[in-house]
Amino acid sequence: MKLITAIVKPFKLEDIKVALENRGLHGMTVSEASGYGRQRGHTEVYRGAEYTVDLVPKVRIEVLVDDADADSVVSTIVEAANTGRIGDGKVWVVPVDSVVRVRTGEKGSEAL
Amino acid sequence: MGEFSNQRKEFLAQKIKPSAKRRSELLALTDSWIKELAQAAGVSQLGGAVVAVGGYGRGELAPGSDLDLVLLVPPSANPNLIPQVANKLWYPIWDEGMKLDHSVRTVAQARTMAADDLKVALGLLDARTVYGDESLCEKLKEQVLADWRAMGQKRLPGLRSYVQDRITRNGELAHLLEPDLKESFGGLRDLGILNGVAATGIAEVDQTGLASAYAFLLDVRDALHLVTSRPSDRLTLQEQAAVAELLEIESDDALLRQVSSAGRTISYISELTWHRVKHQGVTERKGILRRKVVVPVMSDETPLAPGVMVRDGEVVLAKTADPSTDPVLVLRAAAAAAQHGLRLQPETVNRLASESAPMPTPWPRAAREALVSLIGAGRLALPVWEALDQFEIFNRLIPEWAVVRSAPQHNPLHVFTVDRHLVETAINASTMTRRVARPDLLLIGALFHDIGKAQDRDHTEVGVEIMPGIAQRLGFDDSESATLVKMVEHHLLLPDVATKRDPEDDATINFVAQIVQEHDFLEMLHALTEADSRATGPAVSSEWRLSLISDLVSRVHAVLRGDEIPPPPELDPERLEVGASGDIEVLLDSMSSLPTITISAPDATGLLAACAGVLALHQLSVRTATTQTVGERAVSVWGVTPQYGDMPDIQEIARDLGLILNGQLDVSARLERRRQDMLGAGFTYPPAQVKILEDVSARATVIEVRAHDFPGLLRIVAGAISAVNVDIIAARVATLGSEAVDVFYVIEKTAGGAHLTPARAQEVRSTILDALELSNSVT
Repeated sequence: MKLITAIVKPFKLEDIKVALENRGLHGMTVSEASGYGRQRGHTEVYRGAEYTVDLVPKVRIEVLVDDADADSVVSTIVEAANTGRIGDGKVWVVPVDSVVRVRTGEKGSEAL
Repeated sequence: MGEFSNQRKEFLAQKIKPSAKRRSELLALTDSWIKELAQAAGVSQLGGAVVAVGGYGRGELAPGSDLDLVLLVPPSANPNLIPQVANKLWYPIWDEGMKLDHSVRTVAQARTMAADDLKVALGLLDARTVYGDESLCEKLKEQVLADWRAMGQKRLPGLRSYVQDRITRNGELAHLLEPDLKESFGGLRDLGILNGVAATGIAEVDQTGLASAYAFLLDVRDALHLVTSRPSDRLTLQEQAAVAELLEIESDDALLRQVSSAGRTISYISELTWHRVKHQGVTERKGILRRKVVVPVMSDETPLAPGVMVRDGEVVLAKTADPSTDPVLVLRAAAAAAQHGLRLQPETVNRLASESAPMPTPWPRAAREALVSLIGAGRLALPVWEALDQFEIFNRLIPEWAVVRSAPQHNPLHVFTVDRHLVETAINASTMTRRVARPDLLLIGALFHDIGKAQDRDHTEVGVEIMPGIAQRLGFDDSESATLVKMVEHHLLLPDVATKRDPEDDATINFVAQIVQEHDFLEMLHALTEADSRATGPAVSSEWRLSLISDLVSRVHAVLRGDEIPPPPELDPERLEVGASGDIEVLLDSMSSLPTITISAPDATGLLAACAGVLALHQLSVRTATTQTVGERAVSVWGVTPQYGDMPDIQEIARDLGLILNGQLDVSARLERRRQDMLGAGFTYPPAQVKILEDVSARATVIEVRAHDFPGLLRIVAGAISAVNVDIIAARVATLGSEAVDVFYVIEKTAGGAHLTPARAQEVRSTILDALELSNSVT
């Protein structure tokens, strides 16, 4: 099993949710995040006063999937999250040893 | 299974509507069982008594209640016999599966326990003999009560923190969508606490509606226990329908409304009681609890507004005040109380509720301003608001309010009922009044943004239909009304766009810009959105989410055109004729709804400050002002309301103005003294804001001051401007509720009246801010 983590622009959350649901994936964890990558934040000019935004708001999405599905789920997320501009975010995948569904005690793929 | 167990099971299996009668039947059943057990255990051989305490002591046994019992023994009882009797008494109760809170004590021991533990003390105040020697229980109650009275001043602060803890942990019963019937503030626990406060004799507990609210909550708890077969007191969403059915209430929503209303009654009485305790000077200080000599913030019988005064730390009506001929009185009293951090006395609210004349439509300006001033007081408005609500005064003033009052909402993001959400939004908005050009519209928009809720259609659509009627009734003009409707219509615009559309896409920014049109409206919508989010619940008010909205707002500001700043005011020619002779002349026009005073005097630096000073000295509140220089003279027109009673003598105003201008009358010391007398308790206003508006006038530099209004504000600001050798050629003053937005058109006194350089403008700005800060810090 794999844990897929995506850090994306907040307004892309809806698109990603719909795209994953269309693939039959119904569960995900979403949290508020902020940070910066290569863009190093951005600079705004507001009413003549320039101010720098260091930490840009993002959402963090986490999805657990079977090994076989990992690549295609990543593609789905990337496709939905892409705007082609800087700050679109990152997606990464890490292996997961075990998963247990708390309510039933089911383990492994059963618990996904 | 014993006989009691069967009887009890049978009793509870009849799913009959809970009532006081059912409770007393369950109580009688339980009492007779305890009596049997006590008799069999040999309590009388000990010379002791079985005493019920707490809720069981008061006879309020719910199906899932614990049995709180004390085996009271005389000091002479045989110590070897006591454990045997106790075991024989307690074990059968445990065997029945009943939850038991038990203890064995002598009267002296119980008394010591009560001295150490508040909950024990409160429980014992409600003690009742179930079996055995009644005189023992009477003796216990007598002593515990005597101790409680003697130590009341020391015990109450602890009890108060216990109540505060409960509010923090369990919220308020009236405003939660899943309240705890016992532990939420305004819940069943509060009755025992109120009885405890009353028993100290320190403060009186208002009883209006208390018993019926309490009895209703007991019924709901009984129903909840019957429906769930569990002792939990949290009325969760999933149980609400079944509980409503058992109580023969038509729906889960109706149930929650009634629960909310009962909780409100109890929390209002509780708040008021604690306010009275505080007024009695019972406070905690440096670890030593003591009763202070009472030094009220304001001396008694201080007038606050026409017909409104302070007595015993509560706001009451003056003898001459008559609600039946003065429909605005109710709002004036409420605003005065809130602005001074005080409560309305319950008898006063009652009188206002029953005797007030209906408010004319549209509302007079004074009524609208009092409403703005009330909610502008922020959190201090809450107890006053609850008092008005308790007597349904607001329902009568704004009939649309009745629909949202105590209305539940089925939305996991919300923690409050609709009406409390609206009030919380307005309270939050009161901290943002400096951010907007029209604080009054922000506050009113915040108060009504969700007025379309609790109906079957989209709440924004309904709100847009309802809002024009409300705005017109409140007396707003067409353009103000349109702004309010637009706020209701678009109150979800910014969060929706910020979280769902690409903020870097020009189309997104243009979409919002098309709707908001102006900077002023965008600022107002931004403040409303933030106030609304914070009043909804933690899920939508994270700094993260608010930063998305701020980012969107700053992008939209960047594409909006500059706002049109109105040109310097020009008075009508008739006014300019006043004082053509060159002397000081003062005229009064009291025919319109807002009396106006026209003052003409030879132009001089500091004239505006002197005029503002003389009006403040004669106890007039400046609501609007416009000034214009005509050759050697300056003419100013002032819309004023008397702070108390009648209009002052106009000749005296002219005379005093002459004295001030000649330096023969020092107005500042006198005003300052009066202002200090009027300062309320612990109210922190948002700090004043002074903006230099660049390039908006060909003739002059424009300075905008936003500040909390107080007697003499304008004199201080105008005085500060004059102090740095700057001439005020025109001014436009507006006081909206308790917030002032004043615009000054200024020029250099020297060099043929040029614009101020940026550095000079900053100097004026800091002089004004310093003067305001100084006036706020004087003690």
